[in-house]
Amino acid sequence: MDLEFTDDQLELRDAARQVLAGACPPSLVRSLYEGTGSPEELWKVIRELDWPALGLPEEHGGLGLGFVEVGILVEELGRVAAPSPLLATVTQFAAAVRGSGSSFALGDVASGRRTGTLALADDGRWDPTRPPVRAESEGSGYRLTGRVTHVLDGDTADEVAVVVGTDRGPGVVAVPGSEVVASRQTTVDPTVPLATLEFDGVAVPTERVLLAPGAPGAADAIARIVDEATVAIVLSTVATCRAIFEATVEYAKVRHQFGRPIGSFQAVKHRLADCFLAVERAGALGWFAALTVAEDDPRRPVAVAMAKAAAADCAQLLSRDGLQLHGGIGFTWEYDLHFLLKRAVTGDLLFGGGAFHRSRVAAMLGLADDGEAQ
Amino acid sequence: MRLRFDDSVEATRQEFREWLAANRPSVEEMAADPAVSTGHAPDWARRWTRAMFDAGWLVPGWPPELGGRGAGPIETFVVLEELAAAHVPRTTNVQGLGIVAPSIVDYGTPEQVRDHALPILRGELTACLGMSEPDAGSDLASLSTRAVLEGDEDTGEWVIDGQKVWTSGANYADFCFLFCRTEPDEPKHRGISILLVPMDAPGITVRPLPEIVHPDEPDLNEVFLDGVRVPAASLVGRRGDGWAMANGSLAHERGMVWVSAVMGLEEALGSLVAGAPAHLAAMGPHERALAVDQIVQIAIDTQAARCLGQRGFAKLARGGSAPEQALMKLYASDCRQRVARIAADVQGADSLELGSVPNDGHQAVDEPRGTWMEQWFHSFANTISAGTSEIQRNIVAERVLGLPRG
Repeated sequence: MDLEFTDDQLELRDAARQVLAGACPPSLVRSLYEGTGSPEELWKVIRELDWPALGLPEEHGGLGLGFVEVGILVEELGRVAAPSPLLATVTQFAAAVRGSGSSFALGDVASGRRTGTLALADDGRWDPTRPPVRAESEGSGYRLTGRVTHVLDGDTADEVAVVVGTDRGPGVVAVPGSEVVASRQTTVDPTVPLATLEFDGVAVPTERVLLAPGAPGAADAIARIVDEATVAIVLSTVATCRAIFEATVEYAKVRHQFGRPIGSFQAVKHRLADCFLAVERAGALGWFAALTVAEDDPRRPVAVAMAKAAAADCAQLLSRDGLQLHGGIGFTWEYDLHFLLKRAVTGDLLFGGGAFHRSRVAAMLGLADDGEAQ
Repeated sequence: MRLRFDDSVEATRQEFREWLAANRPSVEEMAADPAVSTGHAPDWARRWTRAMFDAGWLVPGWPPELGGRGAGPIETFVVLEELAAAHVPRTTNVQGLGIVAPSIVDYGTPEQVRDHALPILRGELTACLGMSEPDAGSDLASLSTRAVLEGDEDTGEWVIDGQKVWTSGANYADFCFLFCRTEPDEPKHRGISILLVPMDAPGITVRPLPEIVHPDEPDLNEVFLDGVRVPAASLVGRRGDGWAMANGSLAHERGMVWVSAVMGLEEALGSLVAGAPAHLAAMGPHERALAVDQIVQIAIDTQAARCLGQRGFAKLARGGSAPEQALMKLYASDCRQRVARIAADVQGADSLELGSVPNDGHQAVDEPRGTWMEQWFHSFANTISAGTSEIQRNIVAERVLGLPRG
């Protein structure tokens, strides 16, 4: 197993980091927090760089690179708490389309003309075996009823991939954002906009059925789609945590008390060493999980659940110690640290927190009682 | 970044696996005569080391005359991985093969290589590492065992006085790679030299220190040196360079030392997961849920330790720096401790029983062995020795994160 980037991948990372340093400064993030800005300009830059096309196949207008390269972009966006439709469009919507064996709208995704997302959460629980939206057959299509929460970009995405339940088993359909009643949730982090979607008899024509309910292997395909979306959240969240970590180490070097840098105190050093371990631990598990997605390896379900649980541990530790070690300054609205703290705790809980994913691991290790969450 | 190694690496793995199956010491002979100290090499272990040396598998990265085959780091990794998977120790003389022999090869004279390094590599001699002292543990550079040169640097003799402690394997080892102060007027880091000292030299007294578990098979020792005389030619490298060499030689295996630690951890986790259902079945639902969560957390840590090790290793193999490596000793030893304690809890009061798991010789003596509770006590060897976990955190904070010294 080779868990280090190739030279090309490192080059992509450095280039992305450089672009975002200019296109997504903390002032942009602040403008979202203060309701004075919009992510539109940044999205334009991202589209011009062809980032939406990066991981899509060439026959659909993509650049034909893999999930590792997509993950590198996701990390860089997470690092600066970038508000961007890229995450939901590529790692959720396009993942759902491709994971369903469809090519619906991929050309428009690649060109940046259409954005998308994935709707799955039932009152904040992401269990692919229990989707909250029901699909009833109607003619050759379906009619949807139900309510999904915490849909990333749910009130702005052009397309919503919806995991649906039927009597014949689960499936995936695409619904235009314009046909859904979306209400934006007021959450801690405006760079990760979440919405509740109501499906009140929305009709889905047959050409918008991405994965027919009851199709052989549908449940496995959906599990894989959700895993891909989950790993992307892991990579984004751990990258945010790494940014908190780096900011905290720097602060510990320059902040003086009792005539010396606070980073020279062993109580601070040991906490930062433990933070470093938490970031590296979650990062290594995250990239291993990303590789199992990229290479369609059978270890994927366990690897993803473990990675998400570790990302949750990491986010909890780094949001706590990052804030605590910054002291009073980190507690102020004016200091930029809180953008990262809020992004970290959001990533901790999106697509399931630590306890949920550990219960999945327990089931996969054969340790859970029957009937527990998979 | 990918999950599998090159075909050529997998071919090496296959080649070694076949050789291992044909040449390994049998489970029966290891269990009949297990090593009881890291300085102890039972007959089967001597034959095994020699076989590895002759076949070029002992230190794959070295040339054939030193027991290798000029292999790359990834091939070496694969060999270590296969050994661990087969439950065969690479050596029983961990410090001799891992630190003493490579240091002599790096810094010693041709005669020292011939008379000390090669015999270790051929399974003929074992060595111990004389570092810690009663007043120099974590602060090793303040060691005070003194060596004074009588006569000139060619024909004279070093006269050594002092005391070492926690010296693993000294009760069986043939010679000691001894750190002593030879330049008392230099700053403490520049006053240390290394001498090769036969353990049967007059003036050496070894007193084993029975440990809190397996007290009848002590590995740690006090070593008293009272006017011990060795030839001037026993000096390894230059006078006063001992501290620099220590950092060099300890770094030798740092790129790989995590492999056996992680595989030991994986083995322990495997036993825990395999044995858990019987105990879980007897628990009520709430107790069971709590116990399962503990098992899952250490399972995640075990996989993380492997991924972290491999990520750092991949960086090193490409010639880069790998901050992950600095974390591995801290993390793997902590995990090894926790897995034993969690397993003891899951097993319940039965884990208090002593001696119900015999030493079958498949692990190095310094690895935790025995029942879960014995393993837990034993595991403190790894969180205390070679730099305590607290010192490891300081090292990470200062050398990797660049925080100022306190």
